[in-house]
Amino acid sequence: MRKKECIAMLLAGGQGSRLGALTSKIAKPAVAFGGKYRIIDFSLSNCVNSNIDTVGVLIQYRPLMLNSYLGTGAPWDLDEQEGGVFVLPPYATQEGGAWYSGTADSVLKNIDFIDSYNPEYVLIISGDHLYTMDYNRMLEFHKQNQAELTVSVIEVPLEEASRFGIITADPTGRIVKFSEKPAQPDSTLASMGIYIFDWPVLRSALQADAANEESEHDFGKNVIPMLLAQRRRLFAYAFSGYWRDVGTIDSYYEANMALLDGNCEFDIFSNNANIYSNANIFPPHYVGEQAVVQNSLVCNGCTVLGEVRNSILSTEAYVGPGAKVEDSILLPGARVESGARVMRAIVGERAVVEVNAYFGSQDKEQPIAVVGDNEHVADDLWSGRY
Amino acid sequence: MAGRILGMISCNYNDDSFGQLTAVRSVASMPFGGRYRLLDFALSNMVNSGIRTIGVVTPYQYRSILDHVGAGKEWSLDRKHGGLFLLPGSIYGPKGAHCSFMLRDIIKNMPFLERAKSDTILICGSSKVFNMDFRSMFAAHEAAGGGITMLYKKVNEATAKDALYLELEGDMVKSMTRETIGEANCFMDCFLIDRKLLLDFIDWYQTFSHIDMTEIMSENLENLPIHAYPFEGYLGQVNNISDYMRCSQDLLRLEVRQELFGGDAKIRTKIEDNPPAKYSAQAEVRNSLVPTGCVIEGTVENSILFRGVHVGPGAVVRNSVIMSKCIIQPDALLENVICDKFVKIGSGNKLSGTEARPLVIAKNSDI
Repeated sequence: MRKKECIAMLLAGGQGSRLGALTSKIAKPAVAFGGKYRIIDFSLSNCVNSNIDTVGVLIQYRPLMLNSYLGTGAPWDLDEQEGGVFVLPPYATQEGGAWYSGTADSVLKNIDFIDSYNPEYVLIISGDHLYTMDYNRMLEFHKQNQAELTVSVIEVPLEEASRFGIITADPTGRIVKFSEKPAQPDSTLASMGIYIFDWPVLRSALQADAANEESEHDFGKNVIPMLLAQRRRLFAYAFSGYWRDVGTIDSYYEANMALLDGNCEFDIFSNNANIYSNANIFPPHYVGEQAVVQNSLVCNGCTVLGEVRNSILSTEAYVGPGAKVEDSILLPGARVESGARVMRAIVGERAVVEVNAYFGSQDKEQPIAVVGDNEHVADDLWSGRY
Repeated sequence: MAGRILGMISCNYNDDSFGQLTAVRSVASMPFGGRYRLLDFALSNMVNSGIRTIGVVTPYQYRSILDHVGAGKEWSLDRKHGGLFLLPGSIYGPKGAHCSFMLRDIIKNMPFLERAKSDTILICGSSKVFNMDFRSMFAAHEAAGGGITMLYKKVNEATAKDALYLELEGDMVKSMTRETIGEANCFMDCFLIDRKLLLDFIDWYQTFSHIDMTEIMSENLENLPIHAYPFEGYLGQVNNISDYMRCSQDLLRLEVRQELFGGDAKIRTKIEDNPPAKYSAQAEVRNSLVPTGCVIEGTVENSILFRGVHVGPGAVVRNSVIMSKCIIQPDALLENVICDKFVKIGSGNKLSGTEARPLVIAKNSDI
């Protein structure tokens, strides 16, 4: 196989358990976002826009949707003769089989895949983050510093810092301290879970980590601290711009709704954004005679006959006559039947809010209402919400 | 059965009755329905009917067709065996002569026919709007013992000269005419023909290669088994500017949309990666089609927008078709207008045509 300078390993095996009903049937990277995208689209588009044409996608939790969505990789121009997108699940060997037991373990089990491209650098990214980034700039930084590992970092508020891997760097950018989710953070530089490794360094580190029986085989918890202890050349690459890990229903909801704001930091609308997705072929959406659509995003295949305000309608969503949808997200194929009302809610893929049903609440103190994929919300006269 | 059928789509004809709209493109590549081009219907129908080898005879102005179909990826026609074949048309396809199937276009592409292993060829024009599974027509063709089977639709309001009409006896074609008014059987520019018979046509008429294949059929009605097969669904006829407008407006009817786009047999088209359509808090949209990539800050009524259209605050678009990447600046007013691609309408400009004669604004105009 032809040698590649840099290939990407995209971690997409996580469940995203805090997203509850949204990830009961699909992995977090496959969750729909922003109307016509799935979360993995953003990392994949970043790869393509950074001229990285070989991406291994590590899957484990409920992979059917990811598998079928990725297909040949053609929607992202990743159907390459030499390279392209590869779905890499855990597998059995002569010694038996095992699940991926951590982020580092998942890459370790695919050493053969990486070796076949004999790359100089390996980019490790997550499939469940929202951001646009040119990885080439980070790679340039990595080369300039003759780093062995570069970690992309972003400034976070001090009160949130204990949710992240927190990094302390010296003025040249060299990492002097790394603590995973510290109780008492002493820096506000958070690791974004984006790493560029020299491949030989990563390869031997993974093998050393695998031999350590106490390790959880996690990059943040084990591999990076180990390399730091070995006084390797670890650098922090400062990224500024939009970056979100939508781990919870609230953060998922807010990140979606922020797209409605004209000054949204996450710009998916400008001409050079180039975010690709495997959107199906649907006709333009139809807005009916009596319909109202205001301050909203609407995708192809939708039919809007009722009222839609401050909401996001994903591909093929339906809002019936007399129905009202406010401050809500309808995921692909969701239906809000006639007379129904949906407020501050997320309606799952192909889920149905039945005729005259009432879902969600205008009360901002209430949690965001969520109905999972394929589920129904019936008209319940006795719920006392009328 | 369908796997043994070879598809051929003729795009090598043009028509002056579209004015500016066909100045730089063929009828086949005319944008339609918010994100499609007319050719998409014939091409998708063939693919959805199981045809895996399709030749597209390109017109003189073929840039927009090549740009649109590319390697046929969106239609799953980028195959190792079969797939999409772009066939050069003989130079200068007929203009406004109601000739859609020039024999010389076939003669020029003989190797395509000779190499095909198919016994039957489906030949289709590229300007009719319909969604049909051809498999029932193939079955009828086989049951009738082959020959030629012409696809038609019964229409109530035929107008002379805009199409070819078939007079039938049972399911056999007795005569063909362009001079009909009222109820008639409109030929849908689509027919099945046995490969052997097509090769015979070429043999017989080689020296008159300018002849249209429907003329050959017409001349040989006595001697040839020419059957007709009815189509019952929606047929959009796009023969001139007002037809184009009427057909576009048809898409605002639920039953038409349902039939063309609602079923499992999707009309495919070139994919562009646009963000979702964005509506501002002041947007007012009624009875309209809006695709991704649009930004709506004004009023849109009874209109069809294409990808990437921007309607500024206070601007009003009524009964219009606005093609890709047009910018309607604030407070402009458009009524009964067809804007070709990349048109910019300046602030406060008021432009209007009438329902019968929509105003056409040429591509790239800055008004």
